[in-house]
Amino acid sequence: MGKLLRQMKFQLFLLPILLIYTLFSIYPLLKSVLLSFTNFDGYVKTYDFVGLNNYMKIFTDDALVSGISFTLLFAFASTILITVLAIPLAIMLDQNFWSKNVHRAIFFFPSIPSGLLLAYIWGFILAPISSGVLNGVLEALFGMGPQPWTSDPVLAKASTIVITAWAATGWHAVLYLAFLQSISKDYYEAAAIDGATRWQQIRLITLPLLAPAMTISVMLLLTGGLKVFEIPFALTRGGPGFETHTITQVIVLRGISETQYGLASAMSVVFFLIVLAIAIFQVKFMQKREERIQ
Amino acid sequence: MKKWAGLSMALVLAITLVLSGCGGNNAESGGEGSGGQSADKKVKLSILSWNNEKEMKPVLDGFTEKYPNITFDFQTAPPVKDYIAKLQTMLLSDTATDLFIIAAENRNEIIDGGYALDLTNEDFMSVMIDGNKPMLSKDGKTYAFTQTGWAGGLFYNKDLFAKAGVEGVPQTWDQFIDASLKLKEAGIIPLYDNMQDVTTIHNGLFGNMTLTANPEFDTKLFEDQATFAEGWTEVFKIWKEDLIDNKILTPDMIGLTGDQIVNEFALGKVAMFPGGPWNINTLEETNPELNFGMMAIPGPNEAGGNYFAGAPGVGFAINSKTKYKEESLLFLQYLASPEGLKAFETGTGALITANGFEGTVHPVMESAYNDGLMKSKVYLPMVSWSRHQEALRGQFVVSIQDLSFGKITPEQATEALDKKLKEMENK
Repeated sequence: MGKLLRQMKFQLFLLPILLIYTLFSIYPLLKSVLLSFTNFDGYVKTYDFVGLNNYMKIFTDDALVSGISFTLLFAFASTILITVLAIPLAIMLDQNFWSKNVHRAIFFFPSIPSGLLLAYIWGFILAPISSGVLNGVLEALFGMGPQPWTSDPVLAKASTIVITAWAATGWHAVLYLAFLQSISKDYYEAAAIDGATRWQQIRLITLPLLAPAMTISVMLLLTGGLKVFEIPFALTRGGPGFETHTITQVIVLRGISETQYGLASAMSVVFFLIVLAIAIFQVKFMQKREERIQ
Repeated sequence: MKKWAGLSMALVLAITLVLSGCGGNNAESGGEGSGGQSADKKVKLSILSWNNEKEMKPVLDGFTEKYPNITFDFQTAPPVKDYIAKLQTMLLSDTATDLFIIAAENRNEIIDGGYALDLTNEDFMSVMIDGNKPMLSKDGKTYAFTQTGWAGGLFYNKDLFAKAGVEGVPQTWDQFIDASLKLKEAGIIPLYDNMQDVTTIHNGLFGNMTLTANPEFDTKLFEDQATFAEGWTEVFKIWKEDLIDNKILTPDMIGLTGDQIVNEFALGKVAMFPGGPWNINTLEETNPELNFGMMAIPGPNEAGGNYFAGAPGVGFAINSKTKYKEESLLFLQYLASPEGLKAFETGTGALITANGFEGTVHPVMESAYNDGLMKSKVYLPMVSWSRHQEALRGQFVVSIQDLSFGKITPEQATEALDKKLKEMENK
């Protein structure tokens, strides 16, 4: 009985956050599931249950099909790009040089402002006309004509991915940096005595011991990438055509602009399940990898 | 451990149940006091405005001077999407203001939801011109009062026209294309259009090519007696062949923002752009020397007449659940009075189109006002389409963008629109 009481006390500390989490995450999620079986239009409070109708419509939706393909491309490309850039950056920032704190701060800064703001600013830099900042620079340096950075199907996709990498690499480098600093210096000393080169040390000590950091970083990048909204929306408004529409943008479009809340809710539910499945698979897979390496 | 997880789950469930209970039924809310009979009773009217506080100040000041017992709880959200989303949230949670705006984009939902009071038989409605009524009416009842209208066309830079040897203002489509090509030859960018809406050029072409011959086209479209393929294919064809294939419009313009376009025009870097009265202040502030005018979209069909984009302005509506119906009506009555119309014109710079009111029109807008608005040579699908405007507009934008970089044909563009309409009708 005494033990139960003691445990109860600790549970009490969890209550406030549980309340908040329920109010802002669980309740809306359950409500979405409920609404996904109705024809709710966002205005009239009375609605009818329509069974699985909304779910049947999802996969015949052109915008969603194109949204899924861009979102997957975005999630995987940005994850790979950021991981490939963040690990070397972290190793560099781990060196002892006089301005290392300033450098760490500089690389971390782009992850502080909201993606929306960053994308608007990049919109000016990448403006497709000759007075756009980047186009102006390219013309002055190489005499190149204006490039349609945000309005050509391929360039627009590339631009959103590169800007995301620019904004997030520093943050993930700091994550890796934290793990790097927990690697004992003894390993390196022992390796140096055995005559290992710097590259061998990185390949055989640093990278394997960074595996847990990689599991976390990749999971955050993948789920974040799948849920992306701000940067593509602010930079290209989803255009040209449906080319850079993300899944979340299609959900907002169907729900809010077209007042099809039922359909949009069904899309959210399916999307939730997909992200959940990918995240579970990725974490399990990478944890296995950690065990194997270590 | 399992037990605690179970307990937490139970708690989550309990909270959720309580919350769903809350969401269901709270019809009464907001405001205190009742009825509002005596004229001296202190009343605070809430209003969710489309214009910002600075623009509305002359109206609000004029009204409170006349009725000192009434003050305002003034709220605003910028048009269009932000406003609509905010109002929608308020309506759904029963916290909507006493007065709000009905726009082309939300009129069906507001009227069908029973959120606005029927104003048809109020005295002040005689001030509203008949041309403004259909957008804010359903089944012969009018639910909002508007005193404004707007028309937009192509702004053109007179100096650049002269420099390229373009004489006079193009009156026909061929002259317009000729002028654009002449500008291009002279090394001047003829036209910027970022294709993020049903564009002014599309509105003008549709008015000239389809609407003149078949004024009821949009009505038939929504009664399943006409299709986008019949009314719009030719419009898309001529737009694609003459503007896109001649590279007068290019797909890279999709990446331009509205502000960039206005700025480039003000600085004399582009000869034309589609816009409206709201651009004039910025143009004059950015470049006081700018020598510019506004023209209709020159149509290919000579008998069709040249069209502007345009529509009635948004309307003021009264919340059907307001506690202050009388005071809200007084506000609309004031808006319709000569002093209220003047105050609104002063504050917002809008084009006043009310019975018995002589408005002041900027010289640049004269043709749009006289030849467009007053002669009903204006078209805007968001007003003319009776349902699913946002969904169709979204599809329209995607279609013209795809068309601009050759991904689809004009026939496929209208096919996509017909498909979208069908989908929305069966949702």
